[in-house]
Amino acid sequence: MLRRILFAAAILALPAPIILATSPLKANDHPLLVDLLPKKIEVDSGFTGSTVILYGVKTLSGDIIVTLRGPEAPVVVRRKRQVAGIWINQDAVAFRDVPQFYAIAASRPIEEIMDLGALDRNQIGTEHILLNTVWTRTEDEVDNFRDALRRDRVREEMYKPEIGNIVLIGDSLFRATLTLPASVPTGEYIAETILVHNTEVRSRLKSRLTVEKSGLSAKIFNFAKNEGVLYGLIAIAAALVAGWIGGVAFRKI
Amino acid sequence: MEIYLPIAEISTNVFLLLSLGGAIGFLSGMFGVGGGFLMTPLLIFLGVPPTVAVGTGTTLIVASSVSGVMAHWRRGNVDFHMGWLLFGGGIVGSWLGVWLFKSLREAGQIDLVISLFYVVFLAIVGTLMGFESARATLRQNARRRRKAHQHNWFHGLPLKMRFRRSKLYVSALPPVFVGFLMGLLAAFMGVGGGFIMLPVMIYLIGMPTSVVVGTSLFGIVVISTVSSLAHAVQNHNVDIILALLLAVGAVIGAQYGTRVGFRIQGEYLRGLLAIMVLAVSGRLLYGLVARPDDLFSATSMVLR
Repeated sequence: MLRRILFAAAILALPAPIILATSPLKANDHPLLVDLLPKKIEVDSGFTGSTVILYGVKTLSGDIIVTLRGPEAPVVVRRKRQVAGIWINQDAVAFRDVPQFYAIAASRPIEEIMDLGALDRNQIGTEHILLNTVWTRTEDEVDNFRDALRRDRVREEMYKPEIGNIVLIGDSLFRATLTLPASVPTGEYIAETILVHNTEVRSRLKSRLTVEKSGLSAKIFNFAKNEGVLYGLIAIAAALVAGWIGGVAFRKI
Repeated sequence: MEIYLPIAEISTNVFLLLSLGGAIGFLSGMFGVGGGFLMTPLLIFLGVPPTVAVGTGTTLIVASSVSGVMAHWRRGNVDFHMGWLLFGGGIVGSWLGVWLFKSLREAGQIDLVISLFYVVFLAIVGTLMGFESARATLRQNARRRRKAHQHNWFHGLPLKMRFRRSKLYVSALPPVFVGFLMGLLAAFMGVGGGFIMLPVMIYLIGMPTSVVVGTSLFGIVVISTVSSLAHAVQNHNVDIILALLLAVGAVIGAQYGTRVGFRIQGEYLRGLLAIMVLAVSGRLLYGLVARPDDLFSATSMVLR
């Protein structure tokens, strides 16, 4: 961990002076430069979560907000009702393009950096993630389901309502540390860095992060999804052999 | 030692799974039942998603029944003629059952349906066994046996066939229908369904008891195989790691269970089993009736 941070700091120290020296650009053209470490996270059977460090340089004054969004997928939220004494899923609302993961870090409390409208427009903070329904519904009814969806994501530790710290080093260097839990979904993640000055977004930059399964469990999982017939036949063959060996081994006893 | 189950997508202790398999194997050896109807609910209590518990259950039954079939095969106690008819019905039942399973899963109702099936079936089976055991214990005298060749309405059905091993000349329809029913049950509950097949074979079809156990075990193996494959293809819910760990425990546990079972009187065994079955049924029923902590639940429709 410490070595990673030192490494990041070492890289961090390099690009800024080089760019300033070799490209006589106006500061406004490149107000932000960021990079991620690591850019790829491998989830194997012993994975217990991971940390991603985003570091960068800003050449204009202002606050920094970093959001990390997981891959998007449609989600169906269902509500149970009691029917004849039994709780049954009855009403359902489908949301589209729901980020499977969301984490945020900011240099100051986000309400101080932007007003509520701007937070909504930029989808900053778990309460401001855009959750659109697949079919249009009456708003007051959908709100319950939307809140339930956020509640569910927070309970599963997929949305982090707490806002992480951004460490500022001097006026221009910054570093954000984002953590991913053990059950993190796989796919393409987007880390967005936003530079805000006087509630105005001055610059934004997107960086990619890949989370993928690796190791034996990933191979089994992919094999089962892609080659269902072959996987089923292998599972049955394994079961037959296991049962047969067991029967033979214990026959004499 | 923690292990990550790739399809169930949870981490569990290896020894917990081995001992769970061992316990189920012990019980199935002791009571002479498949044990699938206890395995699936226990896996659900453990945190395995119900769909994966059912799919894996079908694979597990293949492992735990195959040695029994082979033992009966060697002694010539399997009526293959009858077995293939069961198989034929079973193929249709399994694929239809798994397809229904998939539709219900997409409609968000599968967890409820699995629980309901279990509550109803376990309650019926537990109550019947309990009554029978109590009556037998009270009377102490041997139960009245039915004659092998008692004729009933089953024998009036068309498409008669000769079953040499069972020394029967009956319609081919009942075995096919029983196979179909077993396929449906295997698909929905992840059980072998011996507890339904045995009474039908003995009392309705009138098979001699010597071939009933071997033939029903054969039926269970072939039907579970079809269901298992259908689940793997259509629902991707067979966890091979989970199935094998449980199977190892079950095969070993069954050997010891059989020995203990010989020492206890049959009526007490059935009474004990009845109590256990009713307890599991009650626990599942509680899960359906108790008010959930959160009335809302979110399911990701991610296509993987």
